[in-house]
Amino acid sequence: MSWAWANRALLAQYTGSHLYLALMPILFGIIVAVPVGVLCVRFRWTWPPILSLTSIFYAMPSLALYLVLIDYTGLTDWTVIIPLTLFSLSVLIPNVVDGLRSVPQPVRQAATAMGFGTLRQIVQVELPLAVPIIIAGLRVATVSSISLVSVGQLIGIGGLGYFFTDGVQRDFPTEIYAALILIVILAFLADGLLVLMRRWLTPWERARGTRRALSATLRGSRAEGAT
Amino acid sequence: MSYFSIAWQWLTSAQQWHGGDGIPVRLAQHLQFTGIALGIAVIIALPAGLAMGHLRRGGFAVVTLANFGRALPTLGLLVLIFVLTPGSPASWLVPLAFLAIPPILVNTYEGVLGVDADLTDAARGMGMTEWQILRKVEIPVAMPLILLGLRISAIQVVATATIAAYIGLGGLGRYIIDGLARDEYNVVAGGAAVIVLLALAIQGLFTLLRWLIVPVGLRRQAQTS
Amino acid sequence: MITFESVTKHYPGGTVAVDALDLEIPDGQTMVLVGPSGCGKTTTLRMINRLIEPSEGRILLDGRDISQTEASELRRGIGYVIQQTGLFPHRTIVDNIATVPLLKGWPKAKARDRARELMDLVGLDPAMARRYPYQLSGGQQQRVGVARALAADPPVLLMDEPFSAVDPIVRATLQDELIRLQAELHKTVVLVTHDVEEAIKVGDQVAVFYPHGKIAQIDTPQHLLGAPADDYVENFLGFDRGIRRLAFFPAAGLDLQTGIVLSDGSTVEQGRRAAKQAGESWVLATEAGRLPRGWAALADLESRDGHETLAQVPLAPYGHTFRVGQDSLRAALDATVLSRTGLAVGVDDQGRVVGVTSYERLRAAIQAAEEAADGQGARPS
Repeated sequence: MSWAWANRALLAQYTGSHLYLALMPILFGIIVAVPVGVLCVRFRWTWPPILSLTSIFYAMPSLALYLVLIDYTGLTDWTVIIPLTLFSLSVLIPNVVDGLRSVPQPVRQAATAMGFGTLRQIVQVELPLAVPIIIAGLRVATVSSISLVSVGQLIGIGGLGYFFTDGVQRDFPTEIYAALILIVILAFLADGLLVLMRRWLTPWERARGTRRALSATLRGSRAEGAT
Repeated sequence: MSYFSIAWQWLTSAQQWHGGDGIPVRLAQHLQFTGIALGIAVIIALPAGLAMGHLRRGGFAVVTLANFGRALPTLGLLVLIFVLTPGSPASWLVPLAFLAIPPILVNTYEGVLGVDADLTDAARGMGMTEWQILRKVEIPVAMPLILLGLRISAIQVVATATIAAYIGLGGLGRYIIDGLARDEYNVVAGGAAVIVLLALAIQGLFTLLRWLIVPVGLRRQAQTS
Repeated sequence: MITFESVTKHYPGGTVAVDALDLEIPDGQTMVLVGPSGCGKTTTLRMINRLIEPSEGRILLDGRDISQTEASELRRGIGYVIQQTGLFPHRTIVDNIATVPLLKGWPKAKARDRARELMDLVGLDPAMARRYPYQLSGGQQQRVGVARALAADPPVLLMDEPFSAVDPIVRATLQDELIRLQAELHKTVVLVTHDVEEAIKVGDQVAVFYPHGKIAQIDTPQHLLGAPADDYVENFLGFDRGIRRLAFFPAAGLDLQTGIVLSDGSTVEQGRRAAKQAGESWVLATEAGRLPRGWAALADLESRDGHETLAQVPLAPYGHTFRVGQDSLRAALDATVLSRTGLAVGVDDQGRVVGVTSYERLRAAIQAAEEAADGQGARPS
């Protein structure tokens, strides 16, 4: 603990880069996933190919992808951000689709019958109702992303992962512990923030509470853990 | 030269296929490690998931474990175990197996939990014992998700085993770690290619498995997986 | 006026949901489409707001072919109520109701005010405005559904089995509400139901569908009950249509017997004379304010001292009454059947006795009503 305090500036610096490397992919991911997801729901024939594509991205070990990209991006942040974005897409796109599909049929029918245009209906009715499931996916993607960044340390770009390789080289478990704990804390914090965001965005879900939240989380974790 | 040509050159050069550092050897090692870790994870997680799903308990614990498993950095865990127990031959096994547990547990749990309560109700009403219900109703219906969990876990282990080369484990990761250390990009590129192909192969294997095991009626339901 | 011109809907695979339908739905009335499952009534309804497009034929709204109007625009001018309500879970009640006005571009404040007006119209407590749908009961949710459909004051209102998902008591209340609303608003309502009782209760016109997309009969409920076009319709209507038809004849048509209605201060002797004169075996004793008190049997009166008052005689309960001004012959018949004396008491709005009816008088009234019936659908009571 005293080590952590003594080196707090260093830790803070790496934490900063770690968060940058972890959260940029999520941002890009959600920006792309929502329109793509909407597309897949609107034009059903696009879904199977896109699903296959995202499955493939999901299965790729991230390290391998980092290495492939070195040739194209050199050894920059993008070498890590791009594969992590692809990974987050592979979680988020199915979630957006799942979320949109979970909107009850009577609600959709009523909206159409009232005269909502297609786009307006998606934006004003369906997406808001898909939020719990989308956020469940965001949680999975964010937590995974924060964890996966550290693997990049093997090519030298790993945020807090720096302390892992450093700890091996110096045979100094303390900094490994510190980085490990810090990463887990960051992940749980991000998760918690997303849960709060979901509660804030969905005031109508309040009484439903735990049961539904649990199932939404489980559905979101369809795409589970990877490295 | 592009990545692909580098990798292709390395892959197709004859020396890669012979000797102790050849692709077949490394591949076999990798599969061996994967198999053992996966096996242990299955032994622990599958019965636990089935039991918890059937009894409809422990959902919170499952989700928390899943979150934790996802949050835990694999490199960090590997490195930590290595530093704490240097020289121990099985130090790689614990993290590999541990990280393989959550996907199997979560998806098995969710699969069994998701079996329509009406189905199990009817089965109980017909006089089936709890065991029979599990075997004849819940497992078959939950199969798509169980397979999904196994697939995700297998891929997870393959990837983690790759990284474990950093702490001295054999297998395909060796190409990457050694290649990076010696600044031999062609080895790195080729190694990465083999790993990607392996991952795709596993993906394909499970798709085949799913097609074989899961009846059409169920397959349609689990469309999004 | 909504007109169907030879409209057909068929699906790939051969199913014909609607078969060369010609239908005219007049303005300002409630047209009920009724029939068994799969008969095409819901398909017909949904073609009006183009949720389903016809395979052949065309549909005119006020003389204009609806396929020429842009679908969303058409729908904003037609209210739509469905069984499962389809309320937006993520919006408050007031915002749910305000949906179409907002779609049409009304300023938010104006739309919300209108929504509150409608809440009042459909009988919803204003305190519910900021609540969410999940916090309301089934009946309340359906009221919101109706309010939402009426928000932009559309001339046409489509209802697809709107009350089937609630329990019978709530259903009856909602049906009454609909009738009340219609009396005030005079919308062109097209309602689909599989319940023939509901059709008869709320409909000005009822269209009975054959099982496969064709119409068997379109008529007022009264005429339908009185003269079913064929065996199918007769079976569909059910077995006691004669009695149910009586609900359309007002009890005011009865020629009530007043001679045997005496205050309880009258003497037994007066009672005996009144009964004999009327040829009845009972006399009705009333108390202060001409409220019914009970029946005195002639047999009883004969054995008593003529100077006693009716109040001193043991009286049989006067039984079920019917309101002469508001109830129907059906209610009167029911009261008569339930009465142990075979005579029923007709009262006014304040419960004061107007007169008494018997089976004979009922028979006469029924005959007169049937002869006078000329197709003006009276409201069932």
